Amino acid sequence: MNSFLAETIWFVPIYPLVGMLLSTLWFPSITRRTGPRPAGYVNAITTFLALVHSLLAFPAVAGQAATFKFIPWLQVADLDLTFPVMISSLTVGALILITGMNLAAQIYAVGYMEMDWGWARFYALLAMFEAGMCALVLCDSLFFSYMILEVLTLGTYLLVGLWLNQPLVVTGARDAFLTKRVGDLFLLMGVLAIYPLAHTWNFTELATWAQTAQVDPNVMALVGLALLAGPMGKCAQFPLHLWLDEAMEGPFPSTILRNSVVVATGAWVLVKMEPVFALSSTVMATAIAIGAITALGGTLISMGQIDVKRAISYLVSAYMGLTFIAVGTGNNDAALLIVLTHALAMGALVMSSGSIVLNNITQDLTQLGGLWNKRPVTGLSFVAGALGLIALPPLGGFWSMLALADGVWQSRPVVLGLLLVINAFAAFAITRVFGLIFAGETNPMTLRSPENLWPVTVPMVFGGAFVLHLPLVMQSLSLLPDWATLNKDVALLLIWSSIFGLSLGAVVYIGTFITKPVTLPSKALQDLFAYDFYTPRLYRSSVVGSVDIVSRVTDWFDRYLVDGFVNLVGLASIFGGETLKYSTTGKTQFYVLTIAVGLVLIVLLMSWSFLADLSLVSGN
Amino acid sequence: MLSLLIWVPIIGAGVIAFAPGEVSGARARLGAIGVSGFLIGLSALLLFQFDLGNPEMQFQEYIPWIESLGLNYQLGVDGLSLLLLSLNSLLILISILSSKIDIERPRLFFSLILLIAGGVAGAFVAQNLLLFFLFYELELIPFYLLVSIWGGSRRSYAATKFLIYTAVSGACILLAFLGLVWFSEASTFAYDTLMGQMLPLGLQFVLLALMLVGFGIKIPLVPFHTWLPDTYVEASTPVAILLGGILAKLGTYGIFRFGLGLFPEAWSNLSPYLAIWAAISIMYGAMAAIAQKDIKRMVAYSSIGHMGYILLGGAALTSLSVIGSISQMVAHGLILAVLFNLVGVVEAKVGTRELDVLNGLMNPLRGLPATSSLLVMGAMASAGIPGLVGFIAEFMIFQGSYERFPIQTLLAVVGTGLTAVYFVILLNRTCFGKLDNSTSYYPEVTFGEQVPALILATLIIFLGLQPTWLVRWIEPTGTAMVAAVSTESAAQVATLSVPVVE
Repeated sequence: MNSFLAETIWFVPIYPLVGMLLSTLWFPSITRRTGPRPAGYVNAITTFLALVHSLLAFPAVAGQAATFKFIPWLQVADLDLTFPVMISSLTVGALILITGMNLAAQIYAVGYMEMDWGWARFYALLAMFEAGMCALVLCDSLFFSYMILEVLTLGTYLLVGLWLNQPLVVTGARDAFLTKRVGDLFLLMGVLAIYPLAHTWNFTELATWAQTAQVDPNVMALVGLALLAGPMGKCAQFPLHLWLDEAMEGPFPSTILRNSVVVATGAWVLVKMEPVFALSSTVMATAIAIGAITALGGTLISMGQIDVKRAISYLVSAYMGLTFIAVGTGNNDAALLIVLTHALAMGALVMSSGSIVLNNITQDLTQLGGLWNKRPVTGLSFVAGALGLIALPPLGGFWSMLALADGVWQSRPVVLGLLLVINAFAAFAITRVFGLIFAGETNPMTLRSPENLWPVTVPMVFGGAFVLHLPLVMQSLSLLPDWATLNKDVALLLIWSSIFGLSLGAVVYIGTFITKPVTLPSKALQDLFAYDFYTPRLYRSSVVGSVDIVSRVTDWFDRYLVDGFVNLVGLASIFGGETLKYSTTGKTQFYVLTIAVGLVLIVLLMSWSFLADLSLVSGN
Repeated sequence: MLSLLIWVPIIGAGVIAFAPGEVSGARARLGAIGVSGFLIGLSALLLFQFDLGNPEMQFQEYIPWIESLGLNYQLGVDGLSLLLLSLNSLLILISILSSKIDIERPRLFFSLILLIAGGVAGAFVAQNLLLFFLFYELELIPFYLLVSIWGGSRRSYAATKFLIYTAVSGACILLAFLGLVWFSEASTFAYDTLMGQMLPLGLQFVLLALMLVGFGIKIPLVPFHTWLPDTYVEASTPVAILLGGILAKLGTYGIFRFGLGLFPEAWSNLSPYLAIWAAISIMYGAMAAIAQKDIKRMVAYSSIGHMGYILLGGAALTSLSVIGSISQMVAHGLILAVLFNLVGVVEAKVGTRELDVLNGLMNPLRGLPATSSLLVMGAMASAGIPGLVGFIAEFMIFQGSYERFPIQTLLAVVGTGLTAVYFVILLNRTCFGKLDNSTSYYPEVTFGEQVPALILATLIIFLGLQPTWLVRWIEPTGTAMVAAVSTESAAQVATLSVPVVE
C-alpha cells in the first residue's frame, strides 16, 4: 500500500489542481445561490487527501535511495522536455510540509475570511500555489522549475490582489508581480544559457556535469549570476526584496503560506543548483554577500516596522538570506534544515499574529499591547514560534542554525560572527514584536480581545505545538547531530547570542524602564530602517523611472517622427496634387507648351548616348 | 480540397451579398457562421489527413491557367501553412461571432468577411508566386472597406493609410517576384521551380530586401508600422481580430515562405542584421505600448513586439527556432484575437477604452468578472507566462536562437519582461481597483458574447499545456526548411569551389 502510494506520489499535485478547478466553478452566479463557502471546503478536502497521500507514502521512501519517473511532455527538434519526477525521502518530506501548511492555512482561512465573498478565487489560488509547490519539489528539472516559479509569480499577483478594490492592494500586487518577474526573467536567461553548456536541465545530470565541466569562468559567472537571480526574487533577497513587503497587502491566510513555504521555493531551487553555482567562486561569493546583506538588513528593518505583518516578513527575508549564506558556503543540508525549521516557526508566528489582527482590527504595533492576559493561547503559540525561529535549544531553529554555524566555523570565521549578530538581531526583533503586542499597557484597540473562532485557533495551536515537537521529529529522522560530534563551542556561542538578543529585547520592550515608543538617537537612522533603506524610492528613481522615460520618449518618437514623417509624405503629395491641379487651365497654348517641353526632354534623353559620344560633351 | 477552402467562402460571400433585401441581418450572420463552421470542419479534416512524416507539399492541386505568363492555379499545403490555414478558418468564425448582432449593413459586412476568408486561404495555399500575389492583393479591398465603413471616428484616415501602406507593400513584393523570375530566366512563377534558383548573391540581397520591406509593412516591423496602431484601433472588433490575427500572419508567412525559402543564402548572410532588427522591433513595440493610454492601442503595439520574436526565430535558422516562430504565429493569432475580442467587449459594455477612466471591472457583482478573468488570462498568455501557448512558442524561439544570437535573444527576453509591465498596467487599471458604483450600470455580457473568448481561451490553455498538438504539424517542415538552407548554402559553396579544385 505504502509503496504503491510512493510510486504514485506524482499524483499529489493533482489533488489541489482538481480542487482548484472545482473552486473556479463557483462563479458569482453560483456563489449567489450557495454562498461562497463550499468552494473552500472542496479545496480543504483535496488538500487533506494530498496530505494523507504524502504521509502514507513517506514510510516507503524513508531511508531509500531516490527513484525517478519520467513523464514526457514535449519533444521537438533536438529538444527533449520530459518531466522528471524525483521520489525520495526529501521530496516526500517536502510534500508533507507543503500540504500540511496548506491545510492549516485553508482551515485558518475558513475562520479568517468568514465574511469574505471571494472564497472561490482565494481558495483556487491557494490550491494553485499548493499544486505548483508540490510539482516543484517533485520535479528534478531546472526548466520545469522555472515554469512553475513563473506560474507562481502570476499566482502571487492574483493572490496579493485578492481585495482588488483597495488602491494599496493594487499597487502592491503590481510591484510584487514585476519584482518577481525580474528575477524570473534572469532565471530564464540562465536557463537558456546553461543548456548549450550542459545539454541538460535535469538537476541530477547538471550536478554530474558540474563535477567535470570545463567552462570559461567568466561565462560561468554570468550564467551563475543569472540563475541566482531567480531564487533571489523568490526568496525576497536584496535588491528584489521589496515584493514581500508589498505582498503583505494580501489576506493573512495567504501570508501563512507565503512566509513559510512559498519563499522557500527559491531556496529549494538554490540548493538544487548548488553544484552548478560551485563552478564559479564569484557566484558563491555573491550568494554569501547577498544573503548576508539581506539577513543583516532584514533584521534591522524588521526592528523599524510598526506593521506586525511587515515586521515578521522582513525576518522571512533575513532567514532566506541565511539559506543563501548556507548554499554559498556549500552547506546544502543546513540550508534545507533552515527552510524546514523556519517554515514551521514562521507558520506559527503568522497564524498567531493573524489571530491578534483579526479581532483587534489593526496590524499597527503601536496600537496593540497588553494582550498577554487576554490572549494566553495566542501568546503561547507566538512564543513557541518565536523561540523555534531563533537559535535556542532544544527547538528546531537552534539545530538548523547550528548546522550552518558548524559548517562555516573552520573555513569562514567571519561568516560565523555574522551569524551570531544576525541571530541576536532576529531574537531582538521578534521579542520586540512580542513585547509590543502582549506586554505593556492596554490600548483602546486591545480593550476587548477574546480568543478567536476554532478554525483560527486550532491551526494556530497546532502550528505552535508542532514547533515544540519538531526536535522529536528531527530526532526520529536522525537529523540531529550526535552529542559526540556536537560542536559545543559554536552551540554555546549561538545560545549566548540568542539570550543576548532576547534579554535586550525584553528589557527594552517588555520592561517598563524605557518609554514607548522607543526612538533611536538619530531620527535619520530610524527612518532609514522604517522606510526599508528607502528601497521603494530608489526603485522609483532608477528602474521604474528610466522605463517610464524611455517609453515616453519612444512614444513621442513614434508619434511625431515616424508617424510624422509618414503624414508629411501624405501631406506633401496632397499639396503637390492641389498645386498641380491649377495647371489644368484649359488654354490650348499652355498644353502645347507642355507637350513641346516634354518632347524636347524625351528627345534629349533618347539621344543621350549619341550625344555623349560627341567630343564636345564627353570631352575627348 | 484546398480549393473548397478558397471558393466556398467566396461563393458564400456572393450569396450573402446578393441575397434579397428581405433577408434579415441575423440570417446573414447565421449564414456566415454556417460557412465558417464548414471551413473549420474542412480544416480539421485537413489536420487529421495531413501526413505528419512528410515535409513536402501535400494535397496538391494543379490547373493550367495562363501558361504564357507562368501563372497557374497551383495549390499545396505543408507544415508552415497548414496551421495558419486552420487559424484562418477559426478566426473567421471568431470574428463573425464577435460582431454585433444588429450590425449595420449586415449582408455587405459578412460577405466581405467571407471574402477575406477565401482570399487569405488562397494566399496560404498558393504555390505560384503570381497566384499568391493575386490573393494577397485581393485582401486589401475587403479590409479597406471594412475599416472605412464600420470603423471608429477616424476611420477614413486609418483606412487610407492602411491602403497606401499595403499598396506599397504589394508593389515591393510584386517587384521582387518579377525580378526573381526575370533574372533567373524562369518561364514560370511556380514556387518549386524558383526554389532552385541560383542568382548572384548581390541580386539576391536586393530582391530579399524588397521582399523584407514588402512583408515588413504587412507584419509590421519597425519602422514600417505606423499604419498598424491607427488601423487596429479604428477597425471594429471583428475586423481588428482579423487584421491582427490573420493579416499580420500573411506577412510573416510571406517572409518565411518566400524570403527564407527562395533566398536561403542571402537570408543566412543577412541573418545577424535581421536578428538585430527583430530585437529593435521587440523593444520598440514594448516601450511604445507602455506609454499608451488606450487599451486597444496598447494591444496593437504589443503586436509589433510579438512579431519581432517571429523574425528573430527565422533569423536564427535553427530547426528549434523556426518551429518556434511558426508556433508563435499561431499562438500570437490566438492571443491577439482573444485580447481584441475582450477589449471590444469592454468597450461595448463600459463605453470607453481609456486607461484613466476604466476601473475595477473584476468586481463580481457590478463589474464584468468573466470578461476580466479572461482578460487576465489573455494578457498573461501574451506576456509569456508558462502553461499558456505564448510561453512555449517564445521559449522555443529563445532556446533556438540563443546559441547564434545571444545578445539579441537576451534583449528579446527583456522585451517579454516589458510586455509584462504594460499588461500589468492594463490589468491594474481595467480589472483591478475600485469600481465607481454611481456610474457602473453596465449591460450584462451575454453568453453569446463570451463564446468567442471562451473558445480561444480553451485553445490557448490546451495548447499551452499540451504543445505537442501544436508542434507536431510544424516540425517536419520546420526542420526541412532549415536543412534546405544549409544544403543550399553548401551547394553554392561547392559550385564556387569547383573551379578552384580543377
